[in-house]
Amino acid sequence: MLRHLFTLIWNRKRANLLLISEVFFSFVVLFGVGAVLITVGKNYLAPHGFNYEQVWRLEVRAGQGSKMPRAELDDVLRQVKALPGVQTVALTSGNVPFIFSVNNSEFAYKGKKSPVTNNYDADDHYAEVMQMHLREGRWFAQTDDGSNHRPVVITQDLRESMFGDEPALGKIFTYGEPGKDPKPEDEFQVMGVVDNVNMESDFSAPIPAVWKRLIPFDTTHWETANVLVRVAPGEGGILQEKIARTVAGVTRQWTTEVRVMDDDRLHRRMFTLVPVVGLCLMGLFLIINVALGLFGVLWYNISQRRAEIGLRRAMGATGAGIGWQFLGEMMVVTTFGVVLGSLLAAQFPLLNAFDLPAQPYVLAIGAAAGAVYFITALCAWQPSRLAAAIQPAVALREE
Amino acid sequence: MENLLANSPEHRTQPAAVPNGATPVLQLTNIEKVYQTKTIETVALNQVNLTINRGEFVSIMGPSGCGKSTLLSLMGLLDEPSSGTIEVDGRAVTSFSDKELANLRNLKIGFVFQSYHLINDLSVVDNVEVPLLYRKGMSGKERRQRALTALDKVGLSARTAHFPGQLSGGQRQRVAIARALAGGPEIILADEPTGNLDSVMGEEIMELLMDLNRRDGVTVVMVTHDEQQALKTERVIRFFDGSQVS
Repeated sequence: MLRHLFTLIWNRKRANLLLISEVFFSFVVLFGVGAVLITVGKNYLAPHGFNYEQVWRLEVRAGQGSKMPRAELDDVLRQVKALPGVQTVALTSGNVPFIFSVNNSEFAYKGKKSPVTNNYDADDHYAEVMQMHLREGRWFAQTDDGSNHRPVVITQDLRESMFGDEPALGKIFTYGEPGKDPKPEDEFQVMGVVDNVNMESDFSAPIPAVWKRLIPFDTTHWETANVLVRVAPGEGGILQEKIARTVAGVTRQWTTEVRVMDDDRLHRRMFTLVPVVGLCLMGLFLIINVALGLFGVLWYNISQRRAEIGLRRAMGATGAGIGWQFLGEMMVVTTFGVVLGSLLAAQFPLLNAFDLPAQPYVLAIGAAAGAVYFITALCAWQPSRLAAAIQPAVALREE
Repeated sequence: MENLLANSPEHRTQPAAVPNGATPVLQLTNIEKVYQTKTIETVALNQVNLTINRGEFVSIMGPSGCGKSTLLSLMGLLDEPSSGTIEVDGRAVTSFSDKELANLRNLKIGFVFQSYHLINDLSVVDNVEVPLLYRKGMSGKERRQRALTALDKVGLSARTAHFPGQLSGGQRQRVAIARALAGGPEIILADEPTGNLDSVMGEEIMELLMDLNRRDGVTVVMVTHDEQQALKTERVIRFFDGSQVS
């Protein structure tokens, strides 16, 4: 019977072209939405690689055109750390997690280039504030003060891409295009390896990252200092005010803004959720339209094929058999559309589109196929029941 | 209740007499068929008693609307009578399920229609295979073989890959007959099989049906308007206004 259905659908390919096209486009839309949702969902479920809870971000500004002497900055850090409720503080670069600030570059080790990697500056207390998990080696410490190269900690994915199975600790790497005679501070020595981190948003994939040590006796003058503060659970507005007053107590020229990292995270989340929800709604609207179209076409098909239904009943088909045949035909039509759609969708993992791994694409193909079969079966169900209920004598007489 | 009374021994009218030695293959007793809408009740068949014997070639005649096609639908188990019983090979089919009726149709009855009822999107041989699709346990190879044999029987071996749209009316009716034959039925029910054909083609089809009856012993019941063709058959049953008049 299946061969018969394939023959019938194949011979009616012109008439079924519209249906096959509808199934094909539905599949493609569902595949696209599915790939986005699976990727976003997978990223959401993956660990961030650090603990953003109870972490605040202090943005200390010296004012337009003014610089902050390091000694005064260290004084601010010391005084903030001494406040009751503050557990530890760390100095970092402006690209703190969950804000729209990115600093990235490529690195190279023995001619082998890394993928695009996020760069962060961090002091010796950063890992403690962010509660990062060290897989190998250690975080920066005072013992690194005399290092000839700039000490760095890298993520596991960067380690794998640059060093593969070789040991990474102690290795020295440079920027992707270091020039003929790189400065010692542009040569980076691996001190430790941490878990992969996702510092962009809840829905982003982990990006390789490197933390370069901020040297304590660095005399560079700062315009803005970003300080991460880990506070005790339950701390809130009162401590935030105290921190602001403390900074103002060191110097009245500086301004301070205290932000909760979890608020930054939720704010950033909306920027991904809104387009994703919009995409889903568009997909849903399209699928409802396609479903209504399929329903109408099938209904029309059945009214056009009443004589055939009568004939098949006369030849020995049961009412239920007729219903299953129509459902089966729709499944065969769906199969044509799904196969065509799968051929297109398979190009995405094969061409490594959007630098995504193959898994979300393969899952999206499966999910889209399942959803399309479900939708078409749902649309075909009622018309098929209608076909099953047609009395053969009536159908044959009408002809 | 009416049905029960109608089928009880006291109320049961004797079916048409069966000649000595003849085996009834189809027997209709006290058949009534009433089409009912909210406002109108139309009696299509009224107290019909009819026996068709194995190997007979019977024609049914009557004016349009006299109930011939309704009778053929009932004989073909495509419709249920409002009252009365239908027996096939001595078994009453009144209580048969949809599945049992479908199986009986598939095994015992072949249909030939005035308008052929071929599926235009299937080739000739695929059309002939249709009844065999509903036969359990038959392999694709056997189906194809039986379809080709049936087509050979009607002289269409050279047209197996054609589509109905590429055939003449006579050829289409031959395909329909081959389709009816493919399942090896005991009975062929033909509803005005020559109605859409010119006289030459009609003659050919008539010869084919008569040949099947004579050579293969297939019982044929044919509804026709053509008096001359009816006279060629063994028995002519005439209907008027839903009742058998001769």
